[in-house]
Amino acid sequence: MSDLKIPTELVAPIFNPASYADRAKMEKMLAHLRHNYPLSIAEVPGYDPHWIVTKYKDVREITRQDNIFHSGDRSKTPASQIAEQMMRDYSGGKPHIFRTLVHMDPPDHTAHRDLVKENFMPQNIAALETSIREMARRHVDHMASLGTTCDFAGDIAMNYPLEVVCTLIGLPKEDHAIMLRLTQWFLSYADPDLCRPGSVLTDPEEQIKTWQIVYDEFKRYYGSVIKDRQACPRHDLASTIANGKIHGCPMDERSMISYFVIASTAGHDTTAATIANSMWTLATQPGLLARLKAEPALIPNFVEEAIRWTSPAMCFIRSAAEDYELSGRQIKKGDLLYISYLSANRDEEMFDTPYEFRLDRTPNRHIGFGYGAHICVGQHLARLEMRLLWEELIPRLESVEMAGEGKWQESEFVCGPKFVPIRFKMN
Amino acid sequence: MNAPVYRKWQCIACGEIFDEALGSPADGIPPGTRLEDLPDDWLCPNCGALKASFILMED
Ligand code: HEM
Repeated sequence: MSDLKIPTELVAPIFNPASYADRAKMEKMLAHLRHNYPLSIAEVPGYDPHWIVTKYKDVREITRQDNIFHSGDRSKTPASQIAEQMMRDYSGGKPHIFRTLVHMDPPDHTAHRDLVKENFMPQNIAALETSIREMARRHVDHMASLGTTCDFAGDIAMNYPLEVVCTLIGLPKEDHAIMLRLTQWFLSYADPDLCRPGSVLTDPEEQIKTWQIVYDEFKRYYGSVIKDRQACPRHDLASTIANGKIHGCPMDERSMISYFVIASTAGHDTTAATIANSMWTLATQPGLLARLKAEPALIPNFVEEAIRWTSPAMCFIRSAAEDYELSGRQIKKGDLLYISYLSANRDEEMFDTPYEFRLDRTPNRHIGFGYGAHICVGQHLARLEMRLLWEELIPRLESVEMAGEGKWQESEFVCGPKFVPIRFKMN
Repeated sequence: MNAPVYRKWQCIACGEIFDEALGSPADGIPPGTRLEDLPDDWLCPNCGALKASFILMED
């Protein structure tokens, strides 16, 4: 049996956003934890103890049982003791500022998820193919217009999924940039290039101060959208949310604003991260582009493997609502569990050669979209929009290479490349 | 003789489709396996929902 407590100096970087700028180092660290400290405890000063869950089978066992491993009782993302206290102060004793699907447990979670579930079923998402393909084509045309070099992350990857989800919500084009800005402040609050201007990154209270501002800004923006759609419903996601009933009653304000927040942030940031990293991979893996050009039927496999490879939603927190024995460890009621989707997607017991990007993993049972009742609601949309982008781009992309050093975000929760400089030829 | 009629089922939790005609050979389920013939503790391979979460898809 491996040690129960992970040496602090080994595990501390997991909670530090800056560590993730060095992706290779973090991947090595997670592999070390998986091999030597599977399901062990991190006691990092300033944080409550967390079980660090790095094995695929443990992550699935936990996330499958949302009646035992709760999402709503503690912070859903890694948070220091100060951050948790501030969230409680701000929200009148609740553990979260936002009250999205991610932060709920049954029966509330089920009732709130049911509101949009049907819209996101694969057959309904498939109906959007023509309009999303048209958007994909426009972004590919834009790339061609940039000449022979660009920052693929900032010029293409961040904007295309943003347009897709904002259109689905029903937001006018001129407001898409607001959504991108608020998403970056929210999810990349600690990244010096993407954070809210005026943030003091050395301040331990910064994260929660920023999140309060983000919540208030979203509330200001969506207040008028909600009024508009309640008065005059349209065929868009905003109308579904604004008029949503939970057990026959209107949704409370915090849940409704939060519903818009998750759609406007999770709905593009993770997809953008995966698209940016896919291009980085194409630019650095010899033969990959040629293979996809010769066999476009492999594009869905490319998309699936890119999600495993990127695992942009790297982790979430759960808390135990009762005592539970997991892989020979005694989890006690109230314990916190740090679930690493990134590590699970590299688990050698599940994936052959997990550190190779392979097009022949079929089926590719990665858990990049999570597992259990909280599995990503937008997974079929994300797959569709990525497939369409590559179907439009790959036939026109004759060559691509890195034109400088790529850069990862400094983010401990949702993370992707923020800079992917490429040199390319397109027809 | 008529070819057997296979059906498609969908996980209401995540949208995963189980097509009886195709089965899921990589998961050890051969083509032509009926949903009802899968063990009762079989879980949705995508999200882990119970077998009872699969509902018959309309054509
Ligand atoms: C490559 C792209 C994406 C990845 C990797 C991803 C990843 C994830 C993960 C891991 C979760 C599970 C959270 C948990 O364990 O508690 C999740 C939940 C969620 N995702 Fe995604 N996501 C992606 C795209 C999208 C898109 C396009 C949308 C919406 C349009 C979306 C909306 C959501 C929502 C609403 C939830 C909450 C579900 C719940 O708690 O019931 N995601 N996503």
